[in-house]
Parts: sequence; structure tokens; C-alpha cells
Amino acid sequence: MDESAIIEGMARGEERAFRELVERYKKKVYYLSLDMAGNPVDAEDISQEVFLKVYRSFATFRRGAKLGSWLYRVTYNAAIDHLRRKGAAPEPVADEVLELRSQDGAGLPRSRAADPVAAAEESELQARIAKALEKVSPQERAVFLLRHNEDLMLKDIAETLGLSIGSVKSYLFRAVRKLQKELCGAAPVAGLEAPHE
Amino acid sequence: MNDCRMTKERMILALYGELDPAEKERLDAHLRSCPDCASEYASLEAALRLMDRRERPDPGPAFWEGYWDRLSKRMLWESIENGRRPSPAGRLARAFSRLPRWSLQAAAAAALLLVGILVGGRLIPRPGAPGPETAAAGPSSAIAAPSPAVVQAENFIDRSKVLLLGLVNFDPAVEDAYALDLARTKAVSRELLTEAADVRRGLSQPGQRRLRDLVAELEVIMLQIANLESGQDLEGVELVKQGVDSKSLFLKIDLDRMSRAGGGAALPPAPGGVGSSNKSRV
Repeated sequence: MDESAIIEGMARGEERAFRELVERYKKKVYYLSLDMAGNPVDAEDISQEVFLKVYRSFATFRRGAKLGSWLYRVTYNAAIDHLRRKGAAPEPVADEVLELRSQDGAGLPRSRAADPVAAAEESELQARIAKALEKVSPQERAVFLLRHNEDLMLKDIAETLGLSIGSVKSYLFRAVRKLQKELCGAAPVAGLEAPHE
Repeated sequence: MNDCRMTKERMILALYGELDPAEKERLDAHLRSCPDCASEYASLEAALRLMDRRERPDPGPAFWEGYWDRLSKRMLWESIENGRRPSPAGRLARAFSRLPRWSLQAAAAAALLLVGILVGGRLIPRPGAPGPETAAAGPSSAIAAPSPAVVQAENFIDRSKVLLLGLVNFDPAVEDAYALDLARTKAVSRELLTEAADVRRGLSQPGQRRLRDLVAELEVIMLQIANLESGQDLEGVELVKQGVDSKSLFLKIDLDRMSRAGGGAALPPAPGGVGSSNKSRV
């Protein structure tokens, strides 16, 4: 089923089209939720919330728009709402969750399993990266990850998230500078204004 | 200094290939003449290279395979919570798709038995009871509309059943831990608990005693569920399953529904329970 068939099917309220949409986008939505919330339990909750919103309010989807971009926007808004409701910064992943997720090798890169030294170094690096990302606000993190991981152009991120291009740039600059400070010990962020959106 | 500050913003755009060629040319020229900015550029580049190595934990194949099922369950919960029930066909399909084969066979046998009892009860007059002719000549043979209290009770029972089906059909031996959304199950059970007392109070008529007893039994089970330990309390879930089984709750729920559909026959007496001495037609 191609994207236009999914859109047509969704407009007709077909469950098959909805299921196809979920299967196709569940990983993207889940991982953006995970990036924003910081823990897998909230990430699944947010990602389900996103699909429920999509199911309930597909009528608001603008024909001609990209389904993926719309889903990113819904995910971004759902994650921000979720974090606001919780009134807290992203939580670190609980030990029991990590333990649960690592069963059957889930969550661990298999290639490093045979080399404990490399695994320990890599694990330390991943911990540093995770800690660095915790210093970045959810909005900054969303912009940064859409640019860095999903390779979206800044103008597309602005359109997707409903922000001005200036705000997107500002979020990106701040995110990169904070990450640089945490990972490479650079000087504190200076001269970059917070966006007003 | 100001040039350097502006340059830092351009550096980030350049690293992502979002700087136009003329600007890039100016940036390169500045970096060649300013060691501080050149060092800063290298540092930014190093940070982004480290971020390239970032890995996101893969929750594993069982998580992805069960994703749709968990989402479907949540949609069902929410439709129940919002009082918007899915279509009867959808409800049946979902409920039956989760039932083990043996339970379908048992339900079919129970249904046949009940139909036999109901039909037999209508065809064979009881001693002292008016015959079919007398009944037909009575004031009215139409089934009265259920009272609001009964409708509320039926709604409570239906929602409890959906919740219990999800719990009872969860098999930790063959399903991943995420197949059971225990936190949501507990939340729904707490909501049902808050309604249960009202529902019972509404069933004050003498003929509603068995329905009231069924609601009370469900209330006890909901309390058990609400008190499960946080996390995956599989031991507690097993105890709840045993409670549902020992009280034959699904059978009672089905018999209640079928008896109402069949014209107001009452529930069978609870074995040894309150009201077991009450003589019923069934």
C-alpha cells in the first residue's frame, strides 16, 4: 500500500489503512518520542497517543502534505504536552526498564558483545551522549535530532514543527553548543538568543 | 569579536551543509585567519562526530511485533472510558480473537444449555403457573425497557468483562511483558471501583438482587486488580485469574446478558453465596 492509498483509506476510515500507517511509521514515531521523553515507557505512551490522535483527527490532515512530516509534528506536540503534564525534564531510564529491554539482546548492539573492553568504552560514550542530551531542552532536542538523525533541512523542520526558520536555527545553535560543551568541554553558550516561540 | 560570534552561527550551518556558497567562502577565509574560530570549528565538528555514534536502544522484536496489539487494546480502553463503545461486530471480533479455543467451546456449550433451559421453561408449564394460553391472554407480553440502574449496571459489567478478558488471556509464558498494559488495567479498575458502589446502590429492587451480587463480585476483583504491585506483578495477576475462575465470573456475566436478551430470566444462584436460597426459574 503506497502513501496515497494509506491517506485515501484513512479518509474513508478503513482500519486496514490505519494499521498500515502504524506499521510503517511506528519506529519513527517511537524513536522521536524516546528522544524527547528520554525513557522507553513514556516513549511508548507518547507514540500510542500520537496514533490515537491521528486516528481521531485525520480530517485535519491537509491533502498534499507529507504524511511523515505531519506525524513528526503530531509527535512533537504530543511529547511537549506529555512533558508539560509531567512538569519535569526527561527522566533517566530506570534500571529495571533497561534490564527488561536488554533481555534477548534488545537494546544492545550485537557486534560489541564479543569484546568486553570495546563494549565498556562504547557504553561509557553512550552514557556521556545521553547525559549531554539531557542538558538540551525538548524543543532544542527535537530540532537537533530531526536535523542530525533524520536529515531534514531546517526549512522542512520549521514547516513540520510550525516554527519560524529563525527559531529553528536558534534551537539548533543552542542544542549544538550545549552538546559541544558537554562532550568536548567547550566554553559556555554565549551570544545565542533563546527563540521567542 | 562580533565577526567571530556571527561566524560561530555560520559554522553550525556549514557543518550541516546549510550555508550558501558565498557565505561558506567567507567562513573558510575567516577560519584560515582566526585560530580561535578554527579551533572552535574543529571542536564543533568533533562533537557532531560523537553524536553520529549515538545509538538508540532497540526495544527488540517482541516489542515491535506486539505494538499493534497494545495500541488496539488502548483504543478499546479509551473507547470504553469515553463511553463510546466500538461497534458490536468490532467488539465481538476483538473479544473472540483473544479468547482461547477451549473457552469458545465451553461458551458454545453453555449457550446451548441455556437456550434449552429457556425454551424448555417456556414450553413446559410449571405446576401452578399459567399455561401459554393464559400468558398470552395476560395484560401484556412485551418486555419492559430496563431501568436506568440496570443499564448502568450492564455498562459496568461489560466494561469489567473487557478488562478481565485482557487480564485473563494474558499468558506470560508465550507473550512478551509488554502485551499486558498493567498500569492502564489498574487505572481502569480504579475507575470501575469508584462507580461500583453507586451501581450497587441503584439496584435496590428485590428482582435485582442477583445483578447486585454480580456487581459486588466484580467490585472485589477490581479491588484486587487496583491493588496489584506496580511493575509486572505476574504473581498478583495469577491470583486475580484464579479468583475470576473460581467465581465463574465469565459464565455469570454471559448468563446475565443472555437471560436479559431472553426476556428477563434471572441469574443462576451463586453456589453457597448470598441469595442461593432464592428460587429461580433457571
